[in-house]
Amino acid sequence: MTLELPPTRQSLDLSATKFITPEKPDKSNRLASTKAGGKMVAQYWENIFTAKERGKHVVWYNGTALNPIFQAAGLEWCHGEAFSARLAAMHLEGPAQAAGEEYGYIGELCSYARTHLGCAVMTQKGITEKQSGIVGMVDQDELAAKLPSPDFFVNAYAGCSTGQQWDAMTYRVFGKEFPLFNVSLPMIWGNKKDSGYLRGSEWEKTPLYVEEQLKKLIEFIEYQTKTPFDWDALSENMYYIKKASELRLEAMALCAAAPTPATYWDWVASIAPINFLPANQLLVDYFQGVKDEIEQRIRDNVSAVANERYRVYFDGIMNWNKLGFLTRKFAEYDVAVVAGRYTHDSFWQEPDLIDLDRPLLGMAQHYLICPINHGLKIMEELLLKRCDEYGIDGIAFHSTRTCRAMTNPQHILARTAERDRGIKSFFFEGDVADASFYKDESLESGLVAMLESIDQQRSKARV
Amino acid sequence: MTDFRLRGFSRLQAAAQDPIGYARSWKARTGRPVIGSFPMNFPSELVHATGALPLIVQESRTPITEGRSLLPEFYCSYTRSVADQAAVGELDVFDAFVLADHCVQLLGAADVIRWAKPETPMHFAQFISSMDDPWSGAQVRDKVDALRVEVEEIVGVTVTPEVLGASIRLFNSNRRLLREFYDRRKSGALRISAGELQVLVKSSMVMDIEEHTSILNDMLDGLDVDSAAPASLVRLHLSGHFCAPPRVELLDLIEECGVLVVNDDLYHGTRYISTDVPETGDPFDALATWYLDRNVSAPCGTRVQRNVDWDSYLVASLEDSRADGVITLMAKFCEPLMLYYPELRRVLDDRGIPVLLIETEHEGLAAESVRTRVETFVERISRKKVAA
Repeated sequence: MTLELPPTRQSLDLSATKFITPEKPDKSNRLASTKAGGKMVAQYWENIFTAKERGKHVVWYNGTALNPIFQAAGLEWCHGEAFSARLAAMHLEGPAQAAGEEYGYIGELCSYARTHLGCAVMTQKGITEKQSGIVGMVDQDELAAKLPSPDFFVNAYAGCSTGQQWDAMTYRVFGKEFPLFNVSLPMIWGNKKDSGYLRGSEWEKTPLYVEEQLKKLIEFIEYQTKTPFDWDALSENMYYIKKASELRLEAMALCAAAPTPATYWDWVASIAPINFLPANQLLVDYFQGVKDEIEQRIRDNVSAVANERYRVYFDGIMNWNKLGFLTRKFAEYDVAVVAGRYTHDSFWQEPDLIDLDRPLLGMAQHYLICPINHGLKIMEELLLKRCDEYGIDGIAFHSTRTCRAMTNPQHILARTAERDRGIKSFFFEGDVADASFYKDESLESGLVAMLESIDQQRSKARV
Repeated sequence: MTDFRLRGFSRLQAAAQDPIGYARSWKARTGRPVIGSFPMNFPSELVHATGALPLIVQESRTPITEGRSLLPEFYCSYTRSVADQAAVGELDVFDAFVLADHCVQLLGAADVIRWAKPETPMHFAQFISSMDDPWSGAQVRDKVDALRVEVEEIVGVTVTPEVLGASIRLFNSNRRLLREFYDRRKSGALRISAGELQVLVKSSMVMDIEEHTSILNDMLDGLDVDSAAPASLVRLHLSGHFCAPPRVELLDLIEECGVLVVNDDLYHGTRYISTDVPETGDPFDALATWYLDRNVSAPCGTRVQRNVDWDSYLVASLEDSRADGVITLMAKFCEPLMLYYPELRRVLDDRGIPVLLIETEHEGLAAESVRTRVETFVERISRKKVAA
């Protein structure tokens, strides 16, 4: 028997019944000074791409900010996550990820790792095609294929067990031809009762072990480059880092003002400069410029988000594919994302630890306070501190699909913030460098629900 | 023929199926503490030397409930299960937890335990995962000491070299016996399924080691030589799963497809029993040596060592067992295996060794889909053998 249906009279095109979002005005007001950072970063990478032609030694490294050491050693340095993030931010990650996928890397693997491994595959292909260590001209138009091949690798990954293995695999992709040096950074787990952020016996002891490894790293670099290490240059580099960091933190502190003169997104735009650009006066000038602009905004009563009504903290690693989009999205709801774990608890965030007479110890300490290298106890302490500093109303947890290191404590942190400060939160899905994991509905519904909860909370408080 | 299954196997099976139940009854029987540790490289001998029961926390078969709101869905089944067990009170039997390994997902689960059971001591002595650096040995030795101090404090007993030495000999003896089952299977002298072998190894991670050894001895005693397996069966090596055991149903299903599993490098298998602790010299040094040796005798994809490769170890192992192919069992979201698998596949492909990847999950087994894939894989190998 066939089921007879009446002929369809209605059009199957239902688009007219859909809710059409009108073009919304951009309520975000980003700092102008960060554009200078964008130019500096672009110049940095352009310089890297020609490193081989200039006869420079190239180091590929992953994890923490070893660049002041590389700079003092006269190397050119390529940071794996940074390059993956750049590709994603420019929406150019596709070719590298496709190369990685073809090689066999599954989509659930850390998207930084698989993007960078894809770059390694492409660069290695260039080498095997005998293009003098640089990818062939055919591929030159693809940014992902432009990395110069390494002379050696250095891994110094904090807080994530994937990091070290990722470089071990990169080493293999290049046929185990290039030397690899591992700096092992133990977790600051907080085993003892006296443990806490920058305190306790675990904290006192662990940096000394890392400092010793950094000395060995320098010996390794000297061996590779056949050049004595320039210790004075390292101290000089750390002077600039310290100065830049102080300015950055002073500028961040100004954002405790309500409405905030700058947002988390401005600090995201400033990550590359502090994380891997050469340490020099330009770096200091950049953060001086950012601070000056923020001070000017405070004087002129200019806010970073029109009609700031909510102050939100961002927990999770950055979704590089969506930087501009998220900036506008939160502002659309009168939300100023003021601070975040990724920006505020990373990247030379404790300049007082830097001792120019003993630079390696301060560096070791910074590497260990990477915001994914703590146990829960310290992360709870840091989250509450930031919430208090910046008058936070709510927390956006970016459930970063392929970054387990960042997502590890998030559910418990959400409970802690609610329990100890009554701070509401929501989770949304996304990823660092793979746009396919981002779910707009997840952000939209979660954000709206959280803001309604905050409104209710405020109403009750007024009664 | 003497059937080993008649000689205590059911006791091992009961412990393997219900580790928490075993721990409860052991604790009631002895009045001594139970200390939970985590895969993959914890030296259980150290806990045993205090008189406590060292028990490697196992993935539970229970569906995940409370744990869903504590760790994201995109975590491996073992860590989500551990978090869930902590949240629902399944882990209350443990008097303390000690960790040695640094797997980023496992650390998430460990934090959930600390949060759910704040009164229970938990200690993390991170063993270095870069194995061939000049400081690796000293680092591991240092962490062994940190673990010693911690377990001594928890149990209230000082671990002397003599007592630790005795514990080391007991564990070595247990591993040797387990390897005997493996060797007999490989040589064709014993027909034992992959699932049954898993029971033997898994129960050794759970039970009092002397009790376990006694049962193993009894099982081996008088065991006759089996008739050889039919030559028509395709000989396979099972690879992967660094932490949790693959489901026994999955192993059975694979073997139902005309397969003879002749070896593995699974954690609940060869990897766990691969290496003995040196019995001479300082026993604390010996535990550190064991950790470093272990990655040489059975390399793990979670370690970094330039002069050791899991893939070349696997190829040598295949030659030794005369396996025709490899089934890689990948726990979904296991990053170390996701990272290493392309290298593994490349080396096997280069040598013309067939490999099949099966992703496993905590809940559910797509049995018919897996069966079809394994049957096709077996057919492919069979045709290749005929052609050769």
